[in-house]
Amino acid sequence: MVEKINTTTDVVCPFCGTLCDDLEVDVDIKENKVVEVRNGCQIGTKKFFASNPSDHRYEKPLIKDNGSFKEVSWDEALNKAADILVKAKRPLLYGFSSTECEAQGKGVELAEVLGAVLDNTASVCHGPSLLAIQDVGAPTSTLGEYKNRADLIVFWGCNPVHAHPRHLSRYSEFVRGYFRKDGRNDRFIIVVDPRNTHTAQIADLFVQINPSEDYELLNAIRAILRGTELDGKEVSGVQMENIIELVNKLKTCNFGVIFFGMGLTQSLSHHRNVDAAICLTRELNDYTKFLLTPMRGHYNVAGANQVFTWQTGYSYSIDFSKGYPRYNPGEFSSVDVLIRNEIDASLIVASDPASNFPAAAVKNMFKHPLISIEPHHTPTSVNADVILPPAIAGIECEGTAYRMDSVPIRLRKVKDAPGECLTDKEILERLVEVVKKKKGE
Amino acid sequence: MSMNNLILITCRTIDQGVALEGGKVSRESVRAAAICAFDKEDFKKLDCLVGTPIKVATDFGEVLVYSTISEEGPHPGIIFIPMGPWANQVVNPDSQSCGTPTYKGMKATVEAIPIGKVLGAVELINTLKEA
Repeated sequence: MVEKINTTTDVVCPFCGTLCDDLEVDVDIKENKVVEVRNGCQIGTKKFFASNPSDHRYEKPLIKDNGSFKEVSWDEALNKAADILVKAKRPLLYGFSSTECEAQGKGVELAEVLGAVLDNTASVCHGPSLLAIQDVGAPTSTLGEYKNRADLIVFWGCNPVHAHPRHLSRYSEFVRGYFRKDGRNDRFIIVVDPRNTHTAQIADLFVQINPSEDYELLNAIRAILRGTELDGKEVSGVQMENIIELVNKLKTCNFGVIFFGMGLTQSLSHHRNVDAAICLTRELNDYTKFLLTPMRGHYNVAGANQVFTWQTGYSYSIDFSKGYPRYNPGEFSSVDVLIRNEIDASLIVASDPASNFPAAAVKNMFKHPLISIEPHHTPTSVNADVILPPAIAGIECEGTAYRMDSVPIRLRKVKDAPGECLTDKEILERLVEVVKKKKGE
Repeated sequence: MSMNNLILITCRTIDQGVALEGGKVSRESVRAAAICAFDKEDFKKLDCLVGTPIKVATDFGEVLVYSTISEEGPHPGIIFIPMGPWANQVVNPDSQSCGTPTYKGMKATVEAIPIGKVLGAVELINTLKEA
């Protein structure tokens, strides 16, 4: 029998913040299975194949009963989830970065109805970048400008060969641009990192820095740029003559960009590192054109920040307990509220905090009821009390996602969701209704 | 053999990315993320074969992972564990009031435990549940 294959082109990859929009996906219509993915990176391709039915994909709502899961109807599962959330004095709604914007909007509505703490995964990755941007602004641009114009690229504390595999070929290193017709040969690539990463191995200049000493080096560069002569032979493990050479490279390019990652946000100085990187970028504009962009991880974490901001005024770490949104990272951020054991129920949407949060936070999360909207078996979902199985956004339903440079892109649907899966938006919409009914609203 | 005064950094790797999309509770994720990458010269001091289980301990906890030699060296004195459940047993949960834990730059000691058992993701996470 001949397989009937449906090919969808210009598919947007719902894996990382690069949001590549040139994938081609073949689906076996009879089996409703992805059979081929073209143009995707190794990780994005895997995500499409992992959407196929398997022994680690949920297809029906589940409730934990005496330690094991039993299949239930959507009404029963939503009723149980709503009971947990309504009874809780301080529920946490966390995740949202691997789903589309309309579902994120419904999450905000649910948090407001519940008076919950609302947070997205920026809290544990680029939250410090958002803090720094709120402090000092951000000279930034869309990725297309970098592709067409940039002749000097700095990757600081990020390793796109591993984390954003097609970023280099689509926007920053190898790609030919309108003013960079010879692609890689028209660009000078600098990597600043404690190790000789695979990205550093294909760079023109690798600056090996001591771990957690980015703040010192960034400020040494700023000082030298201003014409200050620094004492000492090295800063952050980098020889002074190399720093001076680096400064000369930065100020003599035509159009430079700093892409930065977790190396700045997750090391000791957190937002102060990013603050210094932004100030350096601003000061480089006295000499040439210079911009910077955070390498966002989850494909729609930038969207979560956008949606939360336009609906509440704040991008993450939001508390609705007083009936109106309040913002204070460190106080209302997920890891901090969990470590203080304030939370008495959690709803996790499209995320796996049991794997991604420090052990001390996970321990406290497990002390209280847990609801998981999650398509796959994960260390979080297998420990949940209620599992609500969603269609995977960008594969099994449409929606909007924001690229790392905050450009909104419409996601495409390539196949139907298996079993009884509903979209994240439908699940949250129905949950809001049940919660409102229980609260008498 | 054991080593002191190392700096632990958690990081992304493409294998860890593939494994987290392909099945977080699979053995594949253990092979991708339950590993600790050493500088080549540092690893000689451990006096064990590549793949020997090692215990990584910081002020915040300890965890057993498989040892490996870094493809991205040299980085003497620094060890790397991919982000995930294993790394998160030993990271610094303190966010210094900014919300983001300090996932990079912990002081660490390591010890080869040739008979040690490296747990799967769910087994490991279940140890965090109260009895």
